[in-house]
Amino acid sequence: MASSTQLKSDALLEQMKLHLATDAGKELTKKIGLVYQINIAPKNLGFNEEIYVVDLKKGEVTKGAYEGGKPDATFSFKDEDFVKVATGKMNPQIAFMRGAMRVKGSLSAAQKFTPDIFPKPSKM
Amino acid sequence: MAMRELVTGGAACAVPGSSSSSNPLSALANVLVGSSSEKQERLKEIPNLTPTTSDSPFYPRTDEHAALPGSELDHHQFMHPSNRGSEFLNGFRSAGQGDLVDVWDDIHRPMLPHLQGTESQTHFREFENIYDQGVSSRPQPTLDGPPQRVLSNFLHSFVDSSRGGIPFHPTPLPLLGLSEGDKQCIRDRSSIMARHFFADKSEDFINAQVNALLSSLDIDNDNRAKGPLPGRFRELEEYWNESQGTFNPGASAADGWVSEYRQHRLDGDPNAWAHSFEQQHGTNGWASEFEQEQSQMTSINQMRGTNISSLAAMEQTRMLAHTLAQNDDPKFQNSKFLQFVSKMSRGELIIDDNQVKPTTLPAPGDWASEYQQQYDGLSWADRFVHDELSHGPDRWVNEFTTAREQHGSADDQWVNEFSKLQIHDWVEEFGNQVGDGTLGEKSADNWANAYDEYLNEEVAAKQRSNTSRGVYEFSDMNPYVGHPNPLKEGQELFRKGLLSEAVLALEAEVLKNPENAEGWRLLGIAHAENDDDQQAIASMMRAQEVDPTNLEVLLALGVSHTNELEQAAALKYLYSWLRHHPKYGTLAPPEMSDSLYYADVSRLFKEAAQMSPEDADVHIVLGVLYNLSREYDEAIASFQTALKLKPRDYSLWNKLGATQANSVQSSDAILAYQQALDLKPNYVRAWANMGISYANQGMYEESIRYYVRALTMNPKADNAWQYLRISLSCASRNDMLEACDSRNLDFLQKEFPL
Repeated sequence: MASSTQLKSDALLEQMKLHLATDAGKELTKKIGLVYQINIAPKNLGFNEEIYVVDLKKGEVTKGAYEGGKPDATFSFKDEDFVKVATGKMNPQIAFMRGAMRVKGSLSAAQKFTPDIFPKPSKM
Repeated sequence: MAMRELVTGGAACAVPGSSSSSNPLSALANVLVGSSSEKQERLKEIPNLTPTTSDSPFYPRTDEHAALPGSELDHHQFMHPSNRGSEFLNGFRSAGQGDLVDVWDDIHRPMLPHLQGTESQTHFREFENIYDQGVSSRPQPTLDGPPQRVLSNFLHSFVDSSRGGIPFHPTPLPLLGLSEGDKQCIRDRSSIMARHFFADKSEDFINAQVNALLSSLDIDNDNRAKGPLPGRFRELEEYWNESQGTFNPGASAADGWVSEYRQHRLDGDPNAWAHSFEQQHGTNGWASEFEQEQSQMTSINQMRGTNISSLAAMEQTRMLAHTLAQNDDPKFQNSKFLQFVSKMSRGELIIDDNQVKPTTLPAPGDWASEYQQQYDGLSWADRFVHDELSHGPDRWVNEFTTAREQHGSADDQWVNEFSKLQIHDWVEEFGNQVGDGTLGEKSADNWANAYDEYLNEEVAAKQRSNTSRGVYEFSDMNPYVGHPNPLKEGQELFRKGLLSEAVLALEAEVLKNPENAEGWRLLGIAHAENDDDQQAIASMMRAQEVDPTNLEVLLALGVSHTNELEQAAALKYLYSWLRHHPKYGTLAPPEMSDSLYYADVSRLFKEAAQMSPEDADVHIVLGVLYNLSREYDEAIASFQTALKLKPRDYSLWNKLGATQANSVQSSDAILAYQQALDLKPNYVRAWANMGISYANQGMYEESIRYYVRALTMNPKADNAWQYLRISLSCASRNDMLEACDSRNLDFLQKEFPL
């Protein structure tokens, strides 16, 4: 791993990936059943984005754009802001109002994208 | 009504400095508050104290004014020919603002010379004489004549009562025909004034004085009567009370200040406070902090949409003091500057007053001149004046006005921002979906609430923006400041597991000895255990500045940055650990630190671990490194190896648990945390981690209990608050969200006992 290009979000999404395999994760898949694409930019929205798909139909996290059609909602974040939203430091609606989060797709799908779908990182 | 105009000053009152000629009362306020230019000039004199004071008359009486007030001045029209206010102003024995300033100045001046020590007796006597004169020349205010003159004289006698702190007695007065508005003005003004005049007296005394005045004038002083006040005033009243609570607990704040000063002197180092002030702020420190505060305040007012036009200068300064008091940065809280401003805001230079008391201080004049020397002859007053000039009330108001204008368009901005977000398709979709009824009413409310929250957060964000990352934020009201040996106390508290207390004691230590690496290090550890990585990082960085090769510090920084997902920084510190290690340092080529790659660093650590498999520390660092690369199985193995060597290291148990939790082995993690908590029951981080592990398993009800437990031990653990909120809503306990948002721990604890 090259130390400088790592996104903080990688760690969270990796944990998400593991999380979806647990009972709690399967519960989540059942409950939400939607596909989110998340575009994460290191510094400026829309530039050098890393694309993740959090598939809460199949219970998967994959890298790269969604290939199974149109995701229910697509979000764009800066790395920093995604971490804030996923850890509950920033409410997604507020992130949206601040322009820290862009959304495309179904609004009702977007509204189910809340901090509680992400597992919380523990601290050493 | 002239009277009303005079007291309220109309709109002119709002702009201090420009109001002076039309509003004498506001001018006096300015003088009291120290925001007018005259005051600034006076201030310049304070540290130098050219002993000209003995020559200048205490009351600048010209013959014209020599007789009783309220009579001869009827023809002395200095502002509006018909303005009866002149009589009122005359109550302050002045024919113009300059004189008014002199009067005020002279009220205070008798006290100032005591700074010089040697002259104090003379001046004091002189003051006494003048005071006696003042009293005897007006044994009884004239309480007949036209209503306005009666009022003028009456108010004058009230003001006089301040000079000797004599209780003011209610007096029967003829009917004055005051309107409700006048009454309000008098009521409000007199309460404010009284607090200035009697700044050294207790709140009860002040209330008694004011009540005596008001009851004579037949003005109610109960809260009900204040009902029709413009909202602003009541808010001010609250500000006032709050700031009183902060600054003047038991009316002894000034005494406290003096005794603190005395303490310094007893320590034998007369430079002490000047030094500590400088240490805390740097030479230019406070000026810039002051500036920051002002701009913060502007933004707060802006967001609240405060209508400032009704505020007089005093209120502004008081709000400044209030805002300063609200600042969380205890560097600032403890600063003499804040105390100075707060005194200024009350027009109070109470230290002087206290020093009037016989020479308990060997040479009370010293501090001013010493302080001055500290700053190469640029006296503090000059600096203050300078600052006032450049950011003084006018400018302040201007800034505010500009800010207001910006605020006026906030909604537009919001709309603009929406459009920037390629929002059209989004809006369209929103419209469609709302039309479809896909979104219930409830979600519209959600958005409305979120918008409110957004506005609040904007304010908060502005306030926070100054405290950038890596800057340590001190607590306010630290009881350990002044403790003879805060480090020892801190170590003791830390050992007992009282982390939040230990943090305070250690903060006191590093305030006292900013070069104490051990103080900073332990402070950092305490914060980490208290589940606050931001503060942990900030303190460890200070520790590292002082002692760049301390291995524990480097490891701690590596761990905290890993927790914050800051991989590059974490890698840097972990590599430094290796490089500065007496045994493994040779493994690390110094040129490598310029461009660190994870693979290289981890290879070196593996070598080190092979070199000495019995060294628990190297396994710990390796475990942290594996966490960075999310090779959790390896990380777990490393920590387990280390635990065999150091089974009683509670933080190591927690590291193991956290690693297991992050690799979704939550039930194992809970066992590891339990070990950690058995060894250290007040380990906040482990309690919070327990909560996380339960929450990640979907056991929200349990997680809530652990978060609440963690928070009762450290209510400042912001992460835990955020997680608690999420768990509450996941557990469908929306009824408790309000308690969470208001951080009502008692309530939460009762509801969710562990």
